[in-house]
Amino acid sequence: MSDGEVKIVKKRRRLFQYENVGILFVLPAFVYMLVFVGYPIVKNVILSFQDVTMRTLTAASKPFAGLANYTAIFHDAVFTKALVNTLVFTVACLVVQFLIGFALAMFFSRNFKFSKPVRGLLMMPWMIPITVTALMFKFIFGTDVGILNYILQSLGLIKDNIEWLISTNTAMLGIICANIWIGIPFNMILISTGLTTIPKELYESASIDGANKLQSFFRITVPLLKPTIESVLILGFIYTFKVFDLVYVMTSGGPVNSTHMLSTYSYKLSFEMFKYSKGSAVANVLLVILLIVGIFYLRATKEDDM
Amino acid sequence: MDDDKKLTGRKNVIMCVISVLILCVLLFPLYWIVVTSLKTEKEIFQIPPTFWPKVLNTKSYAAQVGSGDFNMFKSFANSFVISVGATLVAVVLAVPASYGIAKYRFRGRKLMMLGFLVTQMLPVAVLLTPMFIMFRNMHLYNTAGAAILADATIGIPFSVLILKNYFASIPKELEEAAYIDGCNRFTAFLRVLIPIAKPGVMVCAIFSFLYAWGDLAYGMTFIIDQQRRPITAGIFNFMGQYGTKWSYLTAFAVVTIIPVALIFIFMQKYIISGMTSGAVKG
Repeated sequence: MSDGEVKIVKKRRRLFQYENVGILFVLPAFVYMLVFVGYPIVKNVILSFQDVTMRTLTAASKPFAGLANYTAIFHDAVFTKALVNTLVFTVACLVVQFLIGFALAMFFSRNFKFSKPVRGLLMMPWMIPITVTALMFKFIFGTDVGILNYILQSLGLIKDNIEWLISTNTAMLGIICANIWIGIPFNMILISTGLTTIPKELYESASIDGANKLQSFFRITVPLLKPTIESVLILGFIYTFKVFDLVYVMTSGGPVNSTHMLSTYSYKLSFEMFKYSKGSAVANVLLVILLIVGIFYLRATKEDDM
Repeated sequence: MDDDKKLTGRKNVIMCVISVLILCVLLFPLYWIVVTSLKTEKEIFQIPPTFWPKVLNTKSYAAQVGSGDFNMFKSFANSFVISVGATLVAVVLAVPASYGIAKYRFRGRKLMMLGFLVTQMLPVAVLLTPMFIMFRNMHLYNTAGAAILADATIGIPFSVLILKNYFASIPKELEEAAYIDGCNRFTAFLRVLIPIAKPGVMVCAIFSFLYAWGDLAYGMTFIIDQQRRPITAGIFNFMGQYGTKWSYLTAFAVVTIIPVALIFIFMQKYIISGMTSGAVKG
């Protein structure tokens, strides 16, 4: 802390005799979150070490199972499949939505008449309830009714209708497309905001020094955007990796488990097969992966946010 | 980028045309369900597809106003009650919390902040079973209350993190002036600070509402009667039972989008500010 800051802190101490009064304002929200989020997390860990069925779900004492649930899921082919699916899905979505979002942000950073209103309208996909987005893409990817097959046929790219969401080879692709559609606005708006922080003079002096557009992009834009790019990718990873609604509505993990994600498989185990403890174990694996990635995010935001 | 020079002449026109093309491609899915909801079932399956309904058919909407298992206006009302409830809970709790975090340096402040940050990253899968058990024990299972309490957990951390920046940006002098005028800490907060932070409170209310409106997992897990379920769960049910009745399905989807579209049209500035403040959909 610098001298100035120390003085400010001391002054504030005098004004507010009891800094701790502040805790009274925070406590209601914090206790609420402890009860409805904190406690469930702990409870979920406990559940994963028990053997909970329909009958014992609300009972006071539940049989202890040790690591049995974890051993079981790691020997479960569907779990492995879901884990791989979640990773493939996340990486594919991240790469494509980031590139498109970046390109759009660059495009709309130019000052033309429609730049602001059109960019505003492009935020729409991000706000639509995901259930609706899922329905929409299910319709577009429909085998006989879907407009996508019609377009591809009229362009002569395919001969017969593709069973997009019914075939195990293409269902994942359909879900990835839908999720990219949701993710583009988020990437675009955050990168747009990042772009506005780059001083214009840098580009001007670079062009005076003879740099071309490509050079100033890689030497000025990309390095100066690094913090933005990092947080967009980390946040994007977290929010893509825990995808649930979209997959559940579009395919429910099918056909033949080909699109199960960790979240949908956990839901299926708990609420369709009533194997609550196995479902909890799968959810905990998902949580641990997210927390590991989350640590990177927290490290990046710590300085300016805390 | 207001200091950026404005493009003029041909370049401006070209950029505008390209931007409209991008808009048409990216928003086509939305246009497509709106148009489909106004077609007859027969026209929907017609090849080549029509890009504007030949016969304007509003029956898909009218058919669902009446009774039946899938009364979409009933689901709409359920969603509305749940979303407004969750928004109230989130705002009432988050506004004081964000003020406390922004203006006071108490012990445990960083830990609490960290708690709010981490809850934003949690997957619903981790919370569903424990919450399910909890709501059953609280006798809230199968009521709107369960969905309200669960949905508020998405709105609260988001709101705290957004609003704390608003409160932090309010100069100390304003608060001091209120004390001189005879306010204490709590009345100064209510009468002086909240009115100043009103735009921030709006952002929080809008996002808390949208999160709750879009929720599917909580609504369908904690509420089992179709008559009480939110509209998202209604759509999901409907898809399972009438999977190919696309005229009804798309009408259902359009009704679900209406409040979102209204918020989007009338409160766009709040939305952009909410999104760029580093917060994201849960």
